[in-house]
Amino acid sequence: MADLIIIGSGPAGLSAGITAAECGLSVLILDEYLKPGGRLLGQLYEEPGGKWWNGIEETRKLEKRAAALDLDIRLGTAVSNIEKEDGLWHVYTDRETFTAPSLLLATGAAESPVAIPGWTLPGVMSVGAAQVMTNVHRVKPGSRGVIIGVSVLSSAIAMELNIAGIDVAAIALPKMNEVNKDGANPAGVMDSLLHVSHMAPSKFVQFGSKLMQNDFMKKLGITFYPKGGVKMWGIPVMLRKAVIEICGTEQVEGVILATVTTNGQVVPGSEQRIDADFVCIAGGLYPLAELIGLTGCPFHHIDELGGYVPLHNEQMETPVDGLYVAGNITGIEGAKVAMSQGVAAALSIARNFGRQGLDDILREAVEYVGETRRKAHIQFHPEVAEGRRKMQQYWEEYEAAQERIAPEEPVVEKEVLQGV
Amino acid sequence: MTDKDMIICRCEEVTYGELVETANEYGCNARELKLRTRAGMGYCGGRTCRNMVDAVACTVTERDSKQVTLKYQPPVRPVHFGDLGAIGHD
Repeated sequence: MADLIIIGSGPAGLSAGITAAECGLSVLILDEYLKPGGRLLGQLYEEPGGKWWNGIEETRKLEKRAAALDLDIRLGTAVSNIEKEDGLWHVYTDRETFTAPSLLLATGAAESPVAIPGWTLPGVMSVGAAQVMTNVHRVKPGSRGVIIGVSVLSSAIAMELNIAGIDVAAIALPKMNEVNKDGANPAGVMDSLLHVSHMAPSKFVQFGSKLMQNDFMKKLGITFYPKGGVKMWGIPVMLRKAVIEICGTEQVEGVILATVTTNGQVVPGSEQRIDADFVCIAGGLYPLAELIGLTGCPFHHIDELGGYVPLHNEQMETPVDGLYVAGNITGIEGAKVAMSQGVAAALSIARNFGRQGLDDILREAVEYVGETRRKAHIQFHPEVAEGRRKMQQYWEEYEAAQERIAPEEPVVEKEVLQGV
Repeated sequence: MTDKDMIICRCEEVTYGELVETANEYGCNARELKLRTRAGMGYCGGRTCRNMVDAVACTVTERDSKQVTLKYQPPVRPVHFGDLGAIGHD
């Protein structure tokens, strides 16, 4: 039996596994995918200063360290259920059931779809799927694509497709309806893009810095945003056009684009069809909580972190004994933050296992998470730091409530017994 | 194709029109919307449509920010009947 089971071999899970093994714990890492690295594998972008971040190389570095420590990593192993019994976690997979006293959930994030007529046609995929096909499997998702959803993530992946020689005809908004509200609002989307302008493509920055001085100018900015889009690496980024339908009989053949008002309403008569043989939908990322949702761990919905996030502290502990979290399950951020969280989680686990002398290094690791966040080139949500502050506040409220409850605990038990 | 006829839950073939109409008629939260329409109750366990069902419900109800709106149930991945039967016997 291992001391620690980690579910997810992405940047958080691998970093945690390495650190935990360095602390002398026996570690088992499980991942449903065929390769370690998680979403790190697909990443390829130029950092300010001209250095390239290549996810495949970064994964290789982590794999080497893991191999040197003889880490047990089981790939292609999907976890279907987790249960805790007599202080031990039981992890059910499609192969066998594993047990350990500590469990770290590093299950990452999932992509939200967008609701556009035709989204169920073959040839429509999430933007992350197109990234994995292109960068990991080296298979072109098609010859000419349209990306629906304008965000830092979708523009970064558009650039990656461009590098791979795949024609991206346009990046446009989804049509406005009850499902697509946020992503379909031109003014809102522009606002969120300009908040991350230090990462956003330089054309946005040039265009934005002139117009974004105040709210009035911001309104003007979206009003006068060129209908044909602003070109970025030759790809038109369209904030005033929305895809209102994906067309095709057996598979994707094209999309219908229409001009939209500043609040996302279609301008009648502005529809035009463009040809494409694949469509990527970029509805945003949300923390993948399906496994932790089975543990009874409390949740909080925090928009800045991407959705429902399990309650946790900066040491990556949850209120559930022996249960820890790291990476995008705690909120949507970049791979570097995930790695630093993995290290902090592993140090917490080792300390709680009784390893001595880890307090200082754990404190430093927690500080390093914050520092990594502040220096991040990609922020998926402009107010991510505020989201983290809210989570910390929820944790403190939880702890205070526990202290109030603690002395009464035996009384509650007695009442239950009397009831029986 | 109109929005009305667009499939949201592929497993149970529930349309956008059905979801919006049900939400408006009953003013229901995500769980009730799921139970009334079966959206999210198919073999994928709502892995694909969860956020879209949630979004429709949130147009008529306040989001419960302290509880996941659509509960997760095991198994969270498809399991072979043979394996399911074998649990506890290996």
